[in-house]
Amino acid sequence: MRTTISQGVLVLLVAGAARAQAPADASATKRVSFANETVGKEPGSFAPMVGSWVMSQDAGHKVLFIDGRVWKRGQPAGELADKARALYGARNEEFIESIKAFAYYPIAVYKGLDNFENGEISVRFQMIGGTLDRCAGILFDVKPNGDYLTVRYNGTEDNVVLWTFNNGVRKFVNRAPTLTPLELGTWHTLKISVHGTSLKSWLDDKPMHDYTLSAPVSGKIGVWSKTDSMIEFDDFTVTPTAK
Amino acid sequence: MNRVLPLVALAIAPLAADAQSKPAAKCDWKPSDAWVKRQAEFFDDSKHDWSDDTLRTALLQAAGLGASLAAPVQFGVQLEGREPKLGAGAAEMTQRLKALAAARGSTWPTRSVVGAAGVHAVYLLSQSDTGLARNVLHRMMEAGPAESPAADVATFEDHLRLVWGRKQIYGTQFKVGPDGKIELSPMEDSAHADLRREDAALPPFRVGICLARP
Repeated sequence: MRTTISQGVLVLLVAGAARAQAPADASATKRVSFANETVGKEPGSFAPMVGSWVMSQDAGHKVLFIDGRVWKRGQPAGELADKARALYGARNEEFIESIKAFAYYPIAVYKGLDNFENGEISVRFQMIGGTLDRCAGILFDVKPNGDYLTVRYNGTEDNVVLWTFNNGVRKFVNRAPTLTPLELGTWHTLKISVHGTSLKSWLDDKPMHDYTLSAPVSGKIGVWSKTDSMIEFDDFTVTPTAK
Repeated sequence: MNRVLPLVALAIAPLAADAQSKPAAKCDWKPSDAWVKRQAEFFDDSKHDWSDDTLRTALLQAAGLGASLAAPVQFGVQLEGREPKLGAGAAEMTQRLKALAAARGSTWPTRSVVGAAGVHAVYLLSQSDTGLARNVLHRMMEAGPAESPAADVATFEDHLRLVWGRKQIYGTQFKVGPDGKIELSPMEDSAHADLRREDAALPPFRVGICLARP
């Protein structure tokens, strides 16, 4: 069936869409700088919850490195309880229990934004290695109970996938249809935009996802990885919008 | 059951075995190196149990391993065109592995099932069959470091990446150049090769290169 839309109706539809998705406000943009971080130490701007996240250098530039060489199954990051308490106060125990169930997946929570509901998040990443996995992801919708969502690129599968983590169970949600092999040792950008239940993702500005979530997101954000991945992250940028 | 067979040597390519027998000073490595110890620990079947000894025995036989091998060292040096010398029943076992790989929910021969030497046999048997090899690599990665020897996984991935028209990432694949000299096959991001090789329990890149071209 072919649908014809009159010009007047089309204008109204476009106007409605514009209202529904407020443009990203550049003034609200937070771009993480690692300039004052100490190489070899944990980052101050992120709270590593699982995995060995340390500051490193790439061509003299400071980057955040998830070092999968020291990954061990089921091992959370050091001082997890203190970090969880700082992020979630009295609800930290619930968070810790859930994160321990997901200790297969290194995560570091961004400290600079308490709640992300709508807007854009992007991060540059460089795959260094990993015998089992080479995963770089954006973590979002991190709840006090430890549930979260992630959109990640996996260099062993060449794909971008949305996963949910709920009550200790990881579930596949949606795989972007395009396979994109990337070379190790080269920088790439992963980006998501969230507006209500609309989720879109891009890899190097190439559209990947256009997906409708089951519910709007609301929670902390950060970076995500998997098992023994060795990934460098840089230019973590978040632009929250009203809607 | 856990019957301790003589330890399996991991002479992946005759080239590596040759190099091992006469290590030049510049190709220095020693048994106390971390990568050697990690390999030895993984392949020490006296410390691990396995559940299917019949399959393990058949795999070792088909892969031509048996009792003749002695040193658990894998250098990660593979020369293009050099296929491993397999044993009797290799073709039948390859078919069996294909059937196992195709059957959803089947018990895949991991270290828990056939021991470390059995897993290495699977790796050797699947080298020449590209379709099976893709499945085996996937299974080995999925099974994780406790079930798959990291050096085998790395060497295997490099081999398959070249088959698929991509570049290797660990620096384990070599070929004979037009001048008859052994040269490294195309590789990406050699700058971080040692980080990856450390993760995979392979010797440092310079040692691998040296062993390939003594």
